[in-house]
Amino acid sequence: MAKKITGFIKLQIPGGKANPSPPVGPALGQKGVNIMEFCKQFNAKTADKDGLIIPVVITVYQDKSFTFITKTPPAAVLLKKATKIESGSAEPNKTKVAKVSKTQVKEIAELKMPDLNAGSVEAAMSMVAGTARSMGITVEE
Amino acid sequence: MKKYKEFKIILEPFEPEIVTGLLWDLEITGINEEKDFLVVFADEKSSTGTKGIESILSKLQKEKILRSFSVSESLLEDKNWNEEWEKSIQVVEVDGKIVIKPSFRKYEEKPGQIIITIDPKMSFGTGEHQTTQIMIKLLEKHLIPSCELLDVGSGTGILAIAAVKLGAKNAVAVDIDEWCLMNGLENCRLNNVEDKIDIKQGELKDIEDKKFDMVLANINKNILIEIKNEIRKRLSSKGILILSGLLFSDENDICSHYEPIGFKVIEKMQMKEWIGLVLKWY
Repeated sequence: MAKKITGFIKLQIPGGKANPSPPVGPALGQKGVNIMEFCKQFNAKTADKDGLIIPVVITVYQDKSFTFITKTPPAAVLLKKATKIESGSAEPNKTKVAKVSKTQVKEIAELKMPDLNAGSVEAAMSMVAGTARSMGITVEE
Repeated sequence: MKKYKEFKIILEPFEPEIVTGLLWDLEITGINEEKDFLVVFADEKSSTGTKGIESILSKLQKEKILRSFSVSESLLEDKNWNEEWEKSIQVVEVDGKIVIKPSFRKYEEKPGQIIITIDPKMSFGTGEHQTTQIMIKLLEKHLIPSCELLDVGSGTGILAIAAVKLGAKNAVAVDIDEWCLMNGLENCRLNNVEDKIDIKQGELKDIEDKKFDMVLANINKNILIEIKNEIRKRLSSKGILILSGLLFSDENDICSHYEPIGFKVIEKMQMKEWIGLVLKWY
């Protein structure tokens, strides 16, 4: 018989670097999950994505055991990766820090569709393009 | 105890996917995405503050991705978050000889058994994890009698304690985490081995410059690769190194880094997806 699920925990932490301090400790601790066991597994499985921001969804079962899946990084992190910048512009209207093509925006939008509240790829593209602009990244037509 | 800034962020509409990615431009430790709000954590000493977060959210408001938002800040003190889970720890019989138990569980010791008492709190190293069991089994098989041993990434101190109880002369246990210093000392006292184990907080390069007959390191692939030369410097010629915290798929990577600096794998042990490797330095 399948184990009974008691809850889900959604976190974002750098790959290969989970440790028991917040957010991991408080989120898992209050559900009685073995924090250190999670860190060990997460770090081993994301060792090749060292430092990249990884969203992780942890399923907690009645017996306090857990499983987890990792997802693709958030859109802004993918935009930074695509444009090879460290961080967004402090003044996005005045200072532009990079350019992104419409094809790149579409690729990110398609990849992130399942995680966005967007009804269509066009709506998702509009959100990704807006995110890019808020970071000082020019979206090329 | 260390403190963390905790920011509760309410968004309308709730678009965590867009917002979280931008928040990583700030110096933060992680994000917890609740059902309809976000909780962002930052080190108390970091420059991250409510203003910085509001500035990022304002930009999204200008792009009409957000209609409104609110940010509230509080301070969270680090504590033993593992308390709830600790209540469920059971006695683990690693093999017929070695038994690991928390202090609050009773166990009827059989002749010839070695009992190790560990209260893990927030440190790595309970008998429940396969890598700890692999390390202990390999240690039992390869222990050099009366050796001087170094345990790197010692966590609860479990491996150094096991080594001393199995016959090592003494051990130095080192870990970068401040929890491990307190917790390691507590566990050494629980096992009456505090006079034989020196627990230190810091990096491998910070400890005294001497050679050890054996080195144990149950950490993870990236760190084990990063500290390979430091480990070799601390190991006597013909000394034994036992590594774990590794997945089955990590073996080739580890070998490709350790073999060129003179190590040879002499044994591999696997439990589920985890492996341990015994290496000798020639």
